[in-house]
This record gives sequence, structure tokens and C-alpha cells, in this order.
Amino acid sequence: MAETPTFKLVLVGDGGTGKTTFVKRHLTGEFEKKYIATLGVEVHPLSFTTNFGQIIFNTWDTAGQEKFGGLRDGYYINGQCGIIMFDLTSRITYKNVPNWHRDLVRVCENIPIVLCGNKVDIKERKVKPKAIDFHRKKSLQYYDISAKSNYNFEKPFLWLARKLAGHQDLEFVASPALAPAEVQVDAALMHQYNEELNNAAAMPLPEEDDDL
Amino acid sequence: MADINTIGAQFTEFYYKTFDAGRNQLGALYRPTSMLSFEGAQTLGDAAIVEKLTGLPLDGLVHKISTQDVQPLDGGLLITVTGQLLAGGETNAQFFTQTFHLKPDGGSYYVQNDIFRLVYGL
Repeated sequence: MAETPTFKLVLVGDGGTGKTTFVKRHLTGEFEKKYIATLGVEVHPLSFTTNFGQIIFNTWDTAGQEKFGGLRDGYYINGQCGIIMFDLTSRITYKNVPNWHRDLVRVCENIPIVLCGNKVDIKERKVKPKAIDFHRKKSLQYYDISAKSNYNFEKPFLWLARKLAGHQDLEFVASPALAPAEVQVDAALMHQYNEELNNAAAMPLPEEDDDL
Repeated sequence: MADINTIGAQFTEFYYKTFDAGRNQLGALYRPTSMLSFEGAQTLGDAAIVEKLTGLPLDGLVHKISTQDVQPLDGGLLITVTGQLLAGGETNAQFFTQTFHLKPDGGSYYVQNDIFRLVYGL
């Protein structure tokens, strides 16, 4: 049997944006995770079943070293895809997204990257859908997510799997076991956010690229 | 006069206890000439150093010292510490090393140089 296609996924973003909470939702990945103390990294093998077979994202999560300063190149080296996370309730974490993107692409050129705005379940959303345009400038994919409610958990992985496999018709045919939702999202509000994101995507990009 | 190892141990115990409980209290240990290199970021002067340290999202941090070496240096002390730390909300410990140069000042000491690094195998 052929070996399961496995990709290194680099997870970055400010401390406290929910990267660890997000990656821990996938239960088999959480069960099989390994902490590499010499790297200060926890690697979670997140497995998904697609219509083309299994795919595994070896997802790298820090032990919090981003809270002390930047991450070292060794964290990024040989990264094959990436997720940049920010907190929808904290503008500064969105403002730092260009820095994370710069660091990531400096080491990993031309890898597929998804931008995720986490904590969409929290009513006090500070980063509005129309303010999120960084992904459009850099050809990233964007999703609102809520790690605690599992909302859109699979979306970033599906988009990355399609890019990595080179098949836009790739689908997930079975759901991975996820930790039970701790909170619920408001379906009507999510629908409204999606409308706003779609409307924003149809607008021309502003000239200035350093404003939030 | 206490030997340098005792003074060094008293200093690091106080330093890490204060760092973990309230970084804004660390200002008293530095002077306007003090230098901090924290994960490669350089800061000069007590006010800027406290601003740098309190600005880091490190609430809930816990340091655990593994080794400590002390030598006399120009009437003061040179201290190198290695150990582990656990960032708030994290479950995995990281390794660190920190070096202090303490200079004498009216019967007491202040931190002239402070160099901190997380340690990884890459």
C-alpha cells in the first residue's frame, strides 16, 4: 500500500489567538501528537479522508515562544502549507497578520496559506468582515472560524488539500472525530457575516495597504 | 560579606519570582544605562526595559531554574542561568538561558546587562 500523503502545516499567529485550541479539536491528532522538546513544538498529525484517499497534515504548534518574540526559521523550514490565525475580538492580532505572512513566506515561498479569524462565536466582534482584506492582496484563502464550536473547522484543511493535491474536485468524504462543541454559533449571524465577506470580496482593494 | 554564590542565588530567586508575579516591579533592578537583549530584541534603560517586559503577553509564566553559575566581575557579579519555563496556558515547557551582569551600587547591586534566550536544537 502506498504511504499516506503527508504535509507539514505551519500554524502561526499571535499568542492567545487560539492556535492550540484549534488544533486540539481533532481528536485522533490530539491522541497521536508528539512534543519535540528540542524544537519547542507539538506536532499533531491531522488525518482527513478524501475522495482521493487519506491525507495527513502534520500540524506544527508552538509551546508559546511567539509570546517572547518571533519564531526561528527552523519552525518554518520545509513547511508545505500554512495557517495564519488571528482573533476576531482583538484588532492588534489582525494588524500583526502581515508580519506573520512576511516571516512565513520568507522561508516557505509559494506555499498555500489560509488566513483564519478565530473566535467568531464571541458576539463582540472587533475585526469586521469588510476590514479583512489582507488575504485578497496576497492570494490567501480566508475563513471565519470558531475553534470552540468547531464552526468551519474543516474548511482550511479542505482548501489546503485541494491546493496540495491539485484537484479542485477533492472532497472530504468522512468527518474526523472532533471534540464536542463548547459553545454554539448563531447560524443567522454566521450567514450575515458570510454575506458581508462576499460583499467585501466584490469591492475593489484600497490603494493603501498598511491600514487596518 | 556573603559569598557571591549566595548573593547570586538571592538575586535570581527574587528576579524570577518578580518576573512571574508582576513584571512591572522589575524596574527597580535596572538603571538608565542597563541593557536588555530579549530573544534578540535590544532595549536600553530601565524605563524602556520595563515597558518591553510588561508589554509581552507573558501573564501566567513560570520559571524553573536548573543550573546557575556565578563569577566575580569588576566588583560585581556575572550570573548565567539555565532552566525551563512554562508560558501561561501552555502545557509544554521550553528551555531558556539568561545571563546577568550585576554591578555594585551603594551596598546593593543593579542589573547592567541582561541577556535572555529560549534554547532550541535548531
